[in-house]
Amino acid sequence: MMVEKLGRLFSPGSVAVIGASNSFDKLGYHVMKSLVGNYRGEIFPINPKGGKIWGLTSYPSLEAISGDVHLAVIAVPASAVPGTLHACGRKGVSGAVLITAGFREIEDPGGTVLEEELRRIAGQYDLPIIGPNTFGFVNLSSTVNVSFTSEFSRIENGGVALISQSGGICHLCGFLAIEQRVAMSKLMSLGNRCNVDFPELLMHLVEKDDPTRVIALYIEGLDEPRKLLEAAKSLRGKKPIIALKAGKSEKGDSASRFHTGSLAGNHAIWKGALRQAGILEVATAEELLDTAKTVDACPLPGGTRVAVLSGQAGPGMIASDALEPHGLRLSRFSEATQERINDLLPPIAIRTNPVDMGPSWYDPKNIIEILKTVLDDENTDGVIFLAMYASANLKLAEGVVEYMKAVDPFRKPVVACFTAPPGIWDEPIAALDRKKGMAILSTPERAAQAMANMWKISLLMNSKGVRTWDR
Amino acid sequence: MLSVDAITFFESQGFPVLKSLPARDEDEAAGKAGTIGFPVTLKLSSPDVIHKTEASGIRVSLKDETDVRRAFREIVGTFASGNPGKRLDGVMVQEQGSGTEVIVGMLTDPQFGPVLMCGLGGIFVEAMNDVSFRLVPIERRDARDMLEELKGYAVLRNPRSGSIDLTGIEDFLLRISTFLKDHPEVREMDLNPVFVSSRGVRICDARIKTG
Repeated sequence: MMVEKLGRLFSPGSVAVIGASNSFDKLGYHVMKSLVGNYRGEIFPINPKGGKIWGLTSYPSLEAISGDVHLAVIAVPASAVPGTLHACGRKGVSGAVLITAGFREIEDPGGTVLEEELRRIAGQYDLPIIGPNTFGFVNLSSTVNVSFTSEFSRIENGGVALISQSGGICHLCGFLAIEQRVAMSKLMSLGNRCNVDFPELLMHLVEKDDPTRVIALYIEGLDEPRKLLEAAKSLRGKKPIIALKAGKSEKGDSASRFHTGSLAGNHAIWKGALRQAGILEVATAEELLDTAKTVDACPLPGGTRVAVLSGQAGPGMIASDALEPHGLRLSRFSEATQERINDLLPPIAIRTNPVDMGPSWYDPKNIIEILKTVLDDENTDGVIFLAMYASANLKLAEGVVEYMKAVDPFRKPVVACFTAPPGIWDEPIAALDRKKGMAILSTPERAAQAMANMWKISLLMNSKGVRTWDR
Repeated sequence: MLSVDAITFFESQGFPVLKSLPARDEDEAAGKAGTIGFPVTLKLSSPDVIHKTEASGIRVSLKDETDVRRAFREIVGTFASGNPGKRLDGVMVQEQGSGTEVIVGMLTDPQFGPVLMCGLGGIFVEAMNDVSFRLVPIERRDARDMLEELKGYAVLRNPRSGSIDLTGIEDFLLRISTFLKDHPEVREMDLNPVFVSSRGVRICDARIKTG
């Protein structure tokens, strides 16, 4: 069945690029650029003109290849696509990525007719198709980049899968992921969703794809949203699912003579339906990435009580301020915890939560001790850890890296900010991020929001409970 | 289906409703008020009016026959002078409801199909759009979430609103969800208001569209 073929589609042993080219202004050029020197399987460039393409022997057609082709990437004109799909079917490829545009999405009704034909051909051969009208996909867990943007290969390999209804959002989030060290398993745009849609991919990523630990969705609109929601609901509790839904218009049906009809904005229904399906809705692309990153890297919190440990008082205060609006609160340390902190910090700063660790600026060992003590506190469910660079504390981040080596993985989430001018703490930050249950985000407020979202996810994933958060 | 008809229908389906009887004229209104027991509420009954409050079509806390007769004349008089050409069926005489007002509704969305809505009644719905939605059918956790999502949830929880039977509202939402699942011919529905108090949940007014 189709779902079984998806595994091979995403991790193919060989890839044919139909429409491969040496010419920069062809998408087949850029797909080749993504593959050559990166992909470890066999690459078959296909172009009837022959000759070498990207230094590799090209083939005039799929039929001319003697070996197996697992995945076909298609970047030929729309009119040539039906014939190409028949060739794929006859060759027995496991799946296709159809980059070509010019189908249902165009104004010309001929596009829709052509797409119907594609669907019929795909059905005939039981051929899963990503697209048409997609930039392709990137599978970082098995080093496959069959997109027309080779730079996606720079994203670190990790547990976040992003499935998007927009290629543009993949480019936005993919490049932000590189900058903000979000580690991904897969990145893909569904394009026109010929026969591979959200429900099939959710099933695959949750049930079959071990490297994926959290799934981020970007949704614009669906004709049959219940299929996605029912799939998510049937998978509740297995892997966290987060969604960014575009189209926030709140207009109900003003013609309705019923209160309910006039109040029911499309987004209001989506909001309720996503939560009903166990999916966490987020408001921005930034929040989508922050949440996915922390959920991938940290254990989920068991409650709402947060300790804020800050190298400077101010960032700690704004982090504390951000807790309550997100449904979290400052934890109250046990006596034993407070005594231990008092031993570690001289009484020249505030030692209760939020803790000002300023006096330990030059002593990363002490800072790690405070962190460990607070994580052991039974009244604390998670920690926000903040350190701003100053010339005098240059060695702080490296020291933290050193002492973290001996630390056991945290059983509670630590969301941190290490903020420094570019180039100064880059290496220690990269060494600390997403290790031992710590995720590093950009600002204290974003750290608080991500912590809150992890708590919401732990509630949403609970398949039995009815305990919920207040708004 | 409107007012008395809709309320009678929900009563026949086993839902708790406020006792409601139709009356075409003043004498009938007075008589039915006696049957129901004072105090009562009188409501304009016209297929052409959705917002009875705006049409000055509601009189509450009528404690005896004199009150009922005066209220009937006021409602009919205001309606006749303000709405020439619109149909008037008379009034609905209803047992006086009490407690917090809640709205429970349903619509059929072209993409989502049957959708259940709940919100705090009256001004909360009108002025603040304070409502939450779930797809039919719902489970218990959804019923609870629907209430907790409301901005006015604190009002439901506030002891000054009286001790409100939150579990009772959840049960009610679940029963409405089951009813809707069993009756796909229902296309749109307003139960507005539904009174919630320590004594339970009672439907006060209802509209339903089938198709």
